[in-house]
Amino acid sequence: MLPLAEQQGHFSQAVLSGEVPAGLLAGPISPAEALSIHRDTIMGALANALRLSYPTVETLVGEEFFDQTCRVFARENLPNTACLARYGEGFADFLAEFAPAAALTYLADVARLDRAVETVLRGSTREQRFALDAKAFLALPQGLAVLPLMSPADEIRAAIGDDPALARIDTAPAERFILVWRRDCDAVVQRVSAMAGRFLLSLLAGEGAETAFRAALAGASPTEALCAIQAEIFAAPFCTVIPTLEESSP
Amino acid sequence: MRRNPLPPAAPAAPIPVKAGVGLRFPHHKSVLAGEARAAWFEVHPENYLGDGVIPDILERVRRDFPVSLHATGLSLGSADGIDADHLAAIVALAGRIQPGLISDHLSWSSAGGVHLPDLLPLPYTREAQDVFVRNIDRVQTALRRPILIENPSAYLAWAHSEMREGEFLAGLARRSGCGVLLDINNVAVSAANLGEDPAVRLHQMLDALPAAAVGEIHLAGHAVRECADGGHVHIDDHGSPVNEDVWDLYADTIRRIGPRPALIEWDTAIPAFARLADEARTADDVMATALEVRHAAAG
Repeated sequence: MLPLAEQQGHFSQAVLSGEVPAGLLAGPISPAEALSIHRDTIMGALANALRLSYPTVETLVGEEFFDQTCRVFARENLPNTACLARYGEGFADFLAEFAPAAALTYLADVARLDRAVETVLRGSTREQRFALDAKAFLALPQGLAVLPLMSPADEIRAAIGDDPALARIDTAPAERFILVWRRDCDAVVQRVSAMAGRFLLSLLAGEGAETAFRAALAGASPTEALCAIQAEIFAAPFCTVIPTLEESSP
Repeated sequence: MRRNPLPPAAPAAPIPVKAGVGLRFPHHKSVLAGEARAAWFEVHPENYLGDGVIPDILERVRRDFPVSLHATGLSLGSADGIDADHLAAIVALAGRIQPGLISDHLSWSSAGGVHLPDLLPLPYTREAQDVFVRNIDRVQTALRRPILIENPSAYLAWAHSEMREGEFLAGLARRSGCGVLLDINNVAVSAANLGEDPAVRLHQMLDALPAAAVGEIHLAGHAVRECADGGHVHIDDHGSPVNEDVWDLYADTIRRIGPRPALIEWDTAIPAFARLADEARTADDVMATALEVRHAAAG
C-alpha cells in the first residue's frame, strides 16, 4: 500500500476528476457516487464562500448562474488554506474575462466593490499615519480601501432590490473613485472626486504628500484640488489631521 | 502511553450538560439583541478568524453564553501535517474567546498544498493513526488543552483499513489524551451508507470507547437521496430536523454513558431560531427520559 501522503494526493485528485482510485471498498453506494458527494460538498463550500464575499454579484446574476460561475472559477482556483473568508481574491478579474458574463460589463467592478466591503469588515481598525508636511500628519484607518473603477458599482450596490432605480443607472464606462471604510459594524461606501481619489491612492501606495497632491491635480487647478482634498478627505469621519507636535509628544 | 496536554492558558466557561445550538450568521443579530438564547453556542472558528467585525460579534456572544469552537479545517489526518498559520489563527481566537470545548474531525482536507473544504475519509490504519496522533499533539500543545475528535459521516470505506472507527478513535484518545465528540447523526449516516445497522455501529463504537472520553454529542438531520442506480445515499446535510432514528440512538447513548453536552447542528436551509430552540428542548427532554431509565436500571 502507498504511504498515506501519496494516498491522499491520489484521492484529492480523484475527488476532483471523478476517476475512482484503487483501494475503495464497494458498498451500497458506488465509489463513483461517493466521490461525487465529496466533490459536490467541496464545490458547494467554495461557492458559499464566494457567495458571502460577493453578495451583490450573486443578486445581479441570480443563484443558478452564480453557482455555475463559481464552479468554473473553483476548478482553476482551489484554496490553499481552511480560512475561506480569504478565498476568491481573483474572482473579479476572472469575471472580467468570463465569456458568459461578457454582456454585464459592470460585473467585475461590482465584484471589486463587494470584495473591498468584505475586506474592510474583516480588516483592522488600527490607524496608519502619513506625513503631510512639517506641521501635520494624516491618520487613516488601515482598512481604508480606494477603488478606481470604470463602472458605477456603488450606485448598483445601493440600488439592489429596486429594479427601476437599477434600470436608471448609466453604466457607460467612466473613471470613478470609491472609498470603503468601516464605521462600527458597517462598511461605508462613498464616492469621491477624482482629485481626492488620486490623492489617497498615491498616498496609500507610499508616495509622499507632495507627489500625492501632484497626482490629484491631473487637469484640475491646485486650488480646486486642495478644496476637494480638504472637504472629502481631511474633513471626513475616517480621517484625522494631527499636528506634528502631538505626534512627537510622549 | 497517555500524554496529558498542558493546562489551558486561562480559565474557560465550561459547557453545561444541556443541549446547545450551532450559531450561524443569520442568527447573530437576534442573539446579540437578547431575543435568541441557548444553554450554549457552538461555532466553526474558521468563520471568525482574524480581525474585524465578525470575531467582535463572537466575543460579544461569549460575554453572555458559553461557547465551543468546532473546527472543520485543521485537517488532523493530513500526512502533510498541520498548517502552521491556520493553527496560529485558531489559537489566537481560542485565546480571545476562551471556549469551553474545542473540537475537529476524524478526517483530512489538505494534500499537496491544496485545501479541499470537506471532511475526507481516512483509512483506519496504524500509519494514519500515527499521523493523527502527531497532528493532535501539535494542536493540543499549541492550544495548551485537550481537544475532541468527531466521527465523520462516511460515504465510502478503504479496503486496507486495519481497524474499525471506534477502535481508531479509542487509540487516539489513549495515545494523545484527546476526547471524542460523538456525532450520532454521523453514526446513522455512515451505517446506512456502508450497509450496516445503525444501532450495531453505535454500540460497536461505545464498546470500543472509554465512556469518559466522550465529551460532547452532536445531533442533526440528514437527507436521503436516490442514486442513479436506484439505491439510496444518506447525505449529512444538516438541513432538517433530527431524524427519529437519531433520537433513538441518542437515547441509547445517554442510557449507556450518562449525560453529556449535546448540540443541535443545522447548517443548510437554516430555519428561524425558535425552531432550533425547539430541537434543543427536545434533546434535553430525550436526555432526561433516558437518564430516568438509566437510573432505574442502576438501582
